[in-house]
Amino acid sequence: MKIGKILLALTAVSLLAVPAIAADTLKVGVQAPITGSYANEGQGIDNGVRLLAEQINAKGGVLGKQIEVVTCDDQGTAMAAAICAKDLVNKGVSMVIGSYTSTCAEAAQPTYYKAGVLQTSDGTADSLTEKGYWTFFRNSFPNSAEAAFVANYLVKEKGYQRIVVISDFSTYADGLANATEEAIKELGGNVVSRDKIKADSQNFTPVLTNIKSKNPDAIFFAGYYSDGGLLRAQQKALGIKADFYGGDANDNPDFVKLAGSAAEGAFIVNVPSPDVLPYDIAKSFIADYQKKYGEMPPSIWGLMNIDGMRAIIHGIEQTKSFDTKGVAEYLHGMEPLPGITGPIAFSKDGNREGGAYVVKKIQADGSYANEFVQ
Amino acid sequence: MDIFLQQLANGLTIGSMFALVALGYTMVYGVMKLINFAHGDMVAASAFVGLTIYTQVMGQATSLVAVIAIFLLTALSMAVVGILLERIAYRPLREAPRLSAVVSALGASLVIQNGIMLIWGPRMRIFPELVPQVYWDFGGVVISLIQVIILALSLILMVALYLFVEKTRMGAAIRASSIDQDAARLMGINVNNVIALIFIIGSSLGAVGGLFIGLYYRGITFNMGWQYGLYAFIAAILGGIGNIPGAMLGGMLLGLFNAFIAGYVSSTWADAFTFILLILILIVRPTGILGERVAEKV
Repeated sequence: MKIGKILLALTAVSLLAVPAIAADTLKVGVQAPITGSYANEGQGIDNGVRLLAEQINAKGGVLGKQIEVVTCDDQGTAMAAAICAKDLVNKGVSMVIGSYTSTCAEAAQPTYYKAGVLQTSDGTADSLTEKGYWTFFRNSFPNSAEAAFVANYLVKEKGYQRIVVISDFSTYADGLANATEEAIKELGGNVVSRDKIKADSQNFTPVLTNIKSKNPDAIFFAGYYSDGGLLRAQQKALGIKADFYGGDANDNPDFVKLAGSAAEGAFIVNVPSPDVLPYDIAKSFIADYQKKYGEMPPSIWGLMNIDGMRAIIHGIEQTKSFDTKGVAEYLHGMEPLPGITGPIAFSKDGNREGGAYVVKKIQADGSYANEFVQ
Repeated sequence: MDIFLQQLANGLTIGSMFALVALGYTMVYGVMKLINFAHGDMVAASAFVGLTIYTQVMGQATSLVAVIAIFLLTALSMAVVGILLERIAYRPLREAPRLSAVVSALGASLVIQNGIMLIWGPRMRIFPELVPQVYWDFGGVVISLIQVIILALSLILMVALYLFVEKTRMGAAIRASSIDQDAARLMGINVNNVIALIFIIGSSLGAVGGLFIGLYYRGITFNMGWQYGLYAFIAAILGGIGNIPGAMLGGMLLGLFNAFIAGYVSSTWADAFTFILLILILIVRPTGILGERVAEKV
């Protein structure tokens, strides 16, 4: 009983003591889907941020302050994302890395904007940078760039005559699919069907059966890998002979595992994969990542977010201040910073500049081979 | 026409999975008048148990014997979990108001769901390709081997269950208990044993359903039980909850309904129409298609 009371008292003292220590740290928030369908990617982001924080802290921190990482699980849903945003702001973070999906990044955006907290996300939906929020920095390349590339590749390079475009209902997927459909039509291509599936519903055969009757020669799926792998498997099971192209969010090892033997011959469109990144900084970071976690980063997306975080910290160091407004002004139009995923620079609206795409073909053993490099 | 037949085949496949899961709901309701909300999560758990048996016990063997062993071992493990569930969550509340048992069922559902997350992690796990990808093309209608297996095995299990309940002494005990537990006890039937038996049967059938989900859709997540549980629950109500052939019919009809709505109307609206169907049944025929209209005892 007595010991219990002492413990209680000690706990109370230590609780009171925490804020005093915390004041000397730079709080970095991670908003990512740690659980749910995209948990693989969310944990990749969290792991990467923690590794980078560790490395920076070992070198003396940022302007003498140690980084403290605070993670909030947004489960890949807009509702949880909005709660996460409030929670992270209340905890006093000065920047937030994430989230993985555009939907979650978008739901959290206004809260960070109002609180003056810098946010960097790999969300590719164009709408993310169309709101005029000075706090938001996209560390990936927008949907419109990918849509233009895909349309040009399908129509001009490959000459497909009957193209089907599929998405789910998320901000990212629907935006990418609409932009792609428009771009294909502008190039004079023929979209025979534009379909939507419900993410996570697993049974896509009813939609695919209808698609089969349209006799397509190419299918472009703009959704996520957790649905894409199944869609590919069910496409093969129904005997639809069209070539399958998955958008950037299909670039995850789970796509191949889900599709099983049907994965062979499917194409994935994305920026280059982590393992083929030519930059020294990429090689050393990925080596450290593998050493710490015993696996490769799940995809390029976690690394894009790490680049976003590196850019913001670079901004803090250059402006010698933790004032987010000043850092944001610096980042808009800064000289390109060498990054893990290539040079990082932002336009005035917070879009990442540059970006080149590759088309990768999945081989019989599940590995990728470059089919086309932009 | 071939589109129609293809949707028919798709609908029957998912329908038979719904039916297997719905049987678990309906049998428990029949005897205990309790909606076992934890059943959907038991189904999800069985997919994970099956995956673990495949990797740890079977050493990733993919032979026919190994697949049969996975089915048997998973059904056995889930039967044990089912008995435990009944002992821990429901038996202490047997005499309590019905609402307490429902709350306990919801609690058990959360415990199992989060238990799966703690043991196997929140990430989607991928089921191995245990059934070879073999397809047959009948003039535009493509049927896969896994679809045939799901349909055939489901029908065999359902017929076996029907015969067991209708033709054996234990089956008669189940039927008697579902009509009146007190009277059944007076006739010398051990109702506790009957309840344990229905949890064994329901959980084993659910386990087969869970393995089918894993084999057919490959990706399994800790929270998928809710979705399949809900569909199976609707299937059980559609057929007439408490009625065993009703659950089979309800599952098949719901699978077909879902496939045709998604195919001919819009996949976006398939779920909405499913719930509209549920509301319509509850208004027009609350006892379901095969359920009997029983006057309320006063």
